[in-house]
Amino acid sequence: MIQTKNLTKRYGKFTAVDGVNLNIPAGEIYGFLGPNGAGKTSTIMMLLGIVKPTSGEIRLFEETYTPKRLDLRRRIGMVPEKHPTGMWTWMTAGEYLQMFADLFGLEDSGRRIDHLLEQVGLAEVKNKKFAEFSRGMLQKLSIVRALLHDPDILFLDEPISGLDPFGVKQIRDLILEENREGRTIFISSHILSEMEKLCHRVAIIFGGKLMVEDQMKSMLNTLAKDREIHVDLEELPADLLGKVKALNFVQDATGEEKTLVVKVPKTGDYRKELSKYLIDQNLVPLSIQEKSLSLEEAFVTITKENINLFAGIGGEK
Amino acid sequence: MNQRAHATTVLARRRIFETLISPGFYIAQTVGLVLAYFLVAGFVRAIDSSGFDYQLYPAYELIGRSLVGAFGTTFVEKLFSEGPFLFILYIAFLPVLLYLAVSSVFRFGLEKKVGALELLTYGPADSTSYFLAALIKDILMTAIYLVVLLVFLLVAGVLNNLILGPSFYYSLIILFFLSVAIYAYGIFASSLTDNSASAIAVFLGLILFFIIIMMGSFTIVSGYVRNLASVFAWIIKWISPLFYWDLALRFVEVGDWGMYFIGILLLLVLSMAILIISHLTMKARGVRP
Ligand SMILES: Nc1ncnc2c1ncn2[C@@H]1O[C@H](COP(=O)(O)OP(=O)(O)O)[C@@H](O)[C@H]1O
Ligand SMILES: [Mg+2]
Repeated sequence: MIQTKNLTKRYGKFTAVDGVNLNIPAGEIYGFLGPNGAGKTSTIMMLLGIVKPTSGEIRLFEETYTPKRLDLRRRIGMVPEKHPTGMWTWMTAGEYLQMFADLFGLEDSGRRIDHLLEQVGLAEVKNKKFAEFSRGMLQKLSIVRALLHDPDILFLDEPISGLDPFGVKQIRDLILEENREGRTIFISSHILSEMEKLCHRVAIIFGGKLMVEDQMKSMLNTLAKDREIHVDLEELPADLLGKVKALNFVQDATGEEKTLVVKVPKTGDYRKELSKYLIDQNLVPLSIQEKSLSLEEAFVTITKENINLFAGIGGEK
Repeated sequence: MNQRAHATTVLARRRIFETLISPGFYIAQTVGLVLAYFLVAGFVRAIDSSGFDYQLYPAYELIGRSLVGAFGTTFVEKLFSEGPFLFILYIAFLPVLLYLAVSSVFRFGLEKKVGALELLTYGPADSTSYFLAALIKDILMTAIYLVVLLVFLLVAGVLNNLILGPSFYYSLIILFFLSVAIYAYGIFASSLTDNSASAIAVFLGLILFFIIIMMGSFTIVSGYVRNLASVFAWIIKWISPLFYWDLALRFVEVGDWGMYFIGILLLLVLSMAILIISHLTMKARGVRP
C-alpha cells in the first residue's frame, strides 16, 4: 500500500529524512514513532506529495507516486499536526466541511458530513464557527475532513498530542473503528504509550533514520534486555528467593510482599518451568504473568549510545 | 472536467460568494462612485461659455498641476481633451482595483502562512487552482464594477448633457485588461513570498516601480537621470503592464485599431506569462512556508 525506497529529504545541508524504506500493507495501523525533529512530518509530507523528496522513490497503491498524481492523492486523507488557525474565521464547521466535499466532488455530501460529525460527537456544533473550537474539537473536525472522501489511507500526524485523556480515548476509538472498516492508517507520534494500544506495527525514526521496524510485540522483545516473570503466591517463604536464584534459567529473583519477581533471559518462555518448580515446592502460584517492556521504556532504550545495536533491523529490507 | 479545473471552479465560486456577502467590495465601490460624483459635480461648475477648462475649478486645477508635474503637459492635455470623464474613470476605478488586488495578495499570504493553502492541497486542489480561483473572482468583480461605473457616468452624462467621448470607451476596455495584468502581478508577488506583509510589499513595490518608470518616460527630467531612466525604462517596459496600456492608447489617438487590439493582446500575453512564472515558482517553492 505504502512503499518507499531510500526516501531522503535534505533541507540545505541538513538531512531531515535519511534513506527511509517503508513497506506498509493494506489494512495496517502503522505507528511512526520518534522524538520531535526526528523527521516524521517531513516523511508524511513527502508521502502526500506536499514536499518534494530530495531522492528516493515512493509507491502508493502499487503505483509510482509523484505530486502530479492528484488522482492518487484523492485516495489519501490527511490530519495535519496543527489545524491552521486564523483562517476562514467566518465559516461554520458545516460550511468548512462542505467546501472540502465540493472540492472532492462528493455526491450526497450533506449526509456524509452529518454522519461523520455524529460519529465524533460534533453534530451539535455543525453550525458554529469552527474558529472558536477547542483544540480537541478542531482535531476531530480535522479527522472528519480527512475522512470525507472515504480515503484508503489515512495519515495522522501527532493526532493526540495536546489532547486531554478523554479526547485521546475518543480519537483512539475513532482510529480503531476506521481501521476495522479496512482503512490503512499511518500515525506519527512521540507519545509512545498511546501507540502501544493502537498500532499493529511500529517503526522508530531518529535523526531521520529508520532505526527499528517491527510488530509491536516483537519490537518490545527485541528491545527488552531481559524478561520479568511476576508470580503471586499465597505466601513468600524466606528461603525461596535463594533457591529460585539457584535455578539455571534464572538471572535474578526478588520478592515484593507476596509477589515473586524473577528475571529470565529474553530468549525463552520460562513460565512453565518456573510454575512447575514452585508447585514442586508445595507453593500455590495464584497468578503468573510475564511483564513485558512498555514501548515507553523501549524507546528510552534507544539512545544514541546503543543505536548501532538496532541499525540493521529496520533500515535494510 | 479534470481535477484542477474542478477545484478551480469550486474555489472560485466560494471566493465570489464570499466577496459578495462581505462589505469590503461594496465599500471600495462606494468610495469610487463618491469620488466620481464629486468630480462630475466639480466639472459641471468648471464649465463656462468657452467649454471645459480644468484650470477653472480649484480641485481640478490642483490635480491638473500635479499631473503635469508628474507626467508632463501632453499627457494631461490628452487626459482632458474630451472632457473630464476619462480622468474620472481612472480615479473612480482606482479604489476598487487597489482593494481587489491588495485584498487578494493579503489573503494569499495569510492562507499560505497559517497553512490553509496547504490544507486545500491535501484535497484535490493545488496552488495553481487556488490562485486561478482568486484571479477569476477578481476579474469578475472588476467587470461588475466597470459596468456599474459606466452606468453611473452615463447617467451623470445624460443628466448634465455631456457625452463620455470615444477615448473613454477605449480606456474602459483597456483598463479591464490592465487590471488582469495587475492581478497577475499580485499572484506573482504572492508566489515569491510566505506571508501577507512581504507579499503586499513586493506587489506594491512592483507597481510603484512600474509607475516610476512610466513617469520617467513621460517627464523631461534633466540630463543624467533622464538618460538613465530611459535606458532602464526601455528594458523594464516590456514587463510593465502600464507600457502596453499606454501603447494601446497611443494607437487609439492615431486611429490604428489593429494596433490597439494588439496592445490588448500583449497585455493578455504578459498576464499569461506572469501566471505561468508564478505557477512554476509555486511548484518549486511548495505550499509550506
Ligand atoms: N522547511 C524546513 N527547512 C529546514 N529545516 C526543516 C524544515 N522542515 C523541517 N526541518 C527540520 O527537519 C527536521 C525534521 O523535522 P520534522 O519532519 O518536522 O520532524 P518531526 O515531525 O519528527 O518533529 C527538524 O530538525 C526540522 O527542524
Ligand atoms: Mg512533526
